[in-house]
Amino acid sequence: MTRMAPPRERAVRALNRDAVLETGLADPAWLKARREEAWDVYMATPLPSTRSEEWRYTDVARMLPLDRLEPNLEGADGGPIPDALLHSMAQDRTSAGRVVDVDGSVVSAEMDPELTAKGVVLCSLREAARSGDPVVESLLATRAVPASDGKFPALNAALWTDGVFLRVPRDVRLEEPIRLSRWVSRPGTATFSRILIVAEELSQVSFVDEVMSPDFGSTSLVSTAVELFSRGGAHVQYVSLQRMGRGGFYLASQRTLAERDSTLDTLNVALGGSIGRVDLNARLLGPGANSDMLGLYFGDDDQHFDFNTSQDHVAPDAHSDLLYKGALDGSARGVFRGVIRVHEGAQRTDAYQTNRNLILSDDAIATSLPNLEIGADDVRCSHGATVGQLDAESLFYLMSRGMDRAQAERLVVLGFLGEVLKRLPLGGVTEKVIEAIKAKLRQVRE
Amino acid sequence: MNDRPILSVTGLGARVAEEDSDILKGVDLAIRPGEIHAIMGPNGSGKSTLAKVIAGHPGYEATTGSVVFQGENLLEMEPDERAQAGVFIAFQYPVAIPGVSIANFLRTALQARLENGDELDLFDFQELLMERMELLHMEPSFAQRAVNDGFSGGEKKRNEILQMAVLKPSLAVMDETDSGLDIDALKVVAHGVNTLKAENPAMSVLLITHYQRMLNYITPDVVHVMVKGRIVESGGPEVATGLEERGYEEYRRARVV
Repeated sequence: MTRMAPPRERAVRALNRDAVLETGLADPAWLKARREEAWDVYMATPLPSTRSEEWRYTDVARMLPLDRLEPNLEGADGGPIPDALLHSMAQDRTSAGRVVDVDGSVVSAEMDPELTAKGVVLCSLREAARSGDPVVESLLATRAVPASDGKFPALNAALWTDGVFLRVPRDVRLEEPIRLSRWVSRPGTATFSRILIVAEELSQVSFVDEVMSPDFGSTSLVSTAVELFSRGGAHVQYVSLQRMGRGGFYLASQRTLAERDSTLDTLNVALGGSIGRVDLNARLLGPGANSDMLGLYFGDDDQHFDFNTSQDHVAPDAHSDLLYKGALDGSARGVFRGVIRVHEGAQRTDAYQTNRNLILSDDAIATSLPNLEIGADDVRCSHGATVGQLDAESLFYLMSRGMDRAQAERLVVLGFLGEVLKRLPLGGVTEKVIEAIKAKLRQVRE
Repeated sequence: MNDRPILSVTGLGARVAEEDSDILKGVDLAIRPGEIHAIMGPNGSGKSTLAKVIAGHPGYEATTGSVVFQGENLLEMEPDERAQAGVFIAFQYPVAIPGVSIANFLRTALQARLENGDELDLFDFQELLMERMELLHMEPSFAQRAVNDGFSGGEKKRNEILQMAVLKPSLAVMDETDSGLDIDALKVVAHGVNTLKAENPAMSVLLITHYQRMLNYITPDVVHVMVKGRIVESGGPEVATGLEERGYEEYRRARVV
């Protein structure tokens, strides 16, 4: 006779030390220690306030109910992958590998066996950390996005449950992208994930990180720390596709470390969620390093997107080029704050920064704050920002060819945002983003 | 040829929106199917205003008179309705639409002409576009460029002609399409208009120009001279030749009312 386990009331978890300990239960000692140190940093660091320049327009104390969020520690219920995510996955073209993550836990990680044979590692970050991979131990939350970076990087380093570890060995070049398809299902929760990508010398890899969710009645947080390393001569592309439902709060800390003659490009696409905040720091660490930094956002209703970027030219003779473009409708708000920092001795730096905004309604607001800090004398740097409305002459021109006003507006917006995608054409991404923009435009304009 | 005009402009007065004085002061013009008319006149005579009023540019408003196109009151129609009815304006200064390829632009313009729910067949469209470009001796890669973005003056005009070739209007208004063009580009434009005219003899053309040289390549049936917002003389091609010799000065002196 089997005895039924009595129904158990699970205590509602909160963002606290107990949750940190529970998350790290099966972790190796070094990781447990790293989590607890991170928690200490979190506790010791005040919540960013709108009095600080970097958080002036995102009142996180008001927007993020930290004391009511329940950490997503258990991951997926083991049910089937939701249709919306499956549908999006079906739209992807060929992939070299795919990781599926539901509610903060990797449910599958698959890769072309030929790549495994060549030594490429693609797996759950939790498994990689627990298996004692020395690369993970040395690079996880240390050099790229450590807890010491601030309140939210510390919270993530303390409470992350899973994510992706991708390591591409020297000279191995992946022709097709690796895709991460993430789904968050629960309202009122906080999901903490990390992505660690190491591309060794002369390797090449593209990574697409897509996050989706249903609409939430109460705020759900998705916190992601992204750590990207490109060794000498490597070529890395990272794309973040944020397509959460309303009620989603997307909070990402991304840092790219580009060594000598390597290329480390990023594209941040923000279409969904209610609030999105991305902190991106690109570090050009070796001569010949190159980073293209692209961003695309389209807000409607009361969506709020805040991008905080920095281009750190540590080494001389490096190049970075940032282009962020946004369209804002309804009473949406877009914030772009960017700085190019040319460190002392970083001569012959070549760095550009452009933010362009298209305002589609009377109540939408775009704030653009470009900045330069230059500590070397032989550099080429420029920055520019524009906030404009749909041009009446352009609309008239399109209408004179037979398009009605809504069709004309859609075409202008698509062209405006599409320029960003042309700079990083990645199979599956461009089509998916354009389709999502079109769907959004139809909702707004018809 | 059919005697019923495709376009009747009667006593048309027009001004820049919200300004006091009219630029057009009673223009009368009737174009029959298949006819090529030229309107010539000095700068500031109102030629381009006429084109903008026919197109429905929101910056201009008609104050008196009427514009009837194929029996419909054009002035009450939106710009897109006019286009769908068969009016095409080749603009003097077409604007750039960054990020939108010519192919995508034209596909959307054709899609807009279909009933709700009907989808343009992309294969058919591609075939049509290629056929039209071949007709005009254009490189297929041209259609992949963003509309007028960084185009030279000549390329902008070519783009206008290509749009006209794809959209197949029944009335094409060429607003100073010849201005700022070198002779080779001018020939390309003229070749385009003549080719489309040969293909569809019922197409009517209104050429608006400052110079007689365009008329060396496109032969008009009727030439009008416009001065200070009025048509002051109409006649055959000889009117243009006379203008070339004597200029607009005598009209300015003699016909000021």
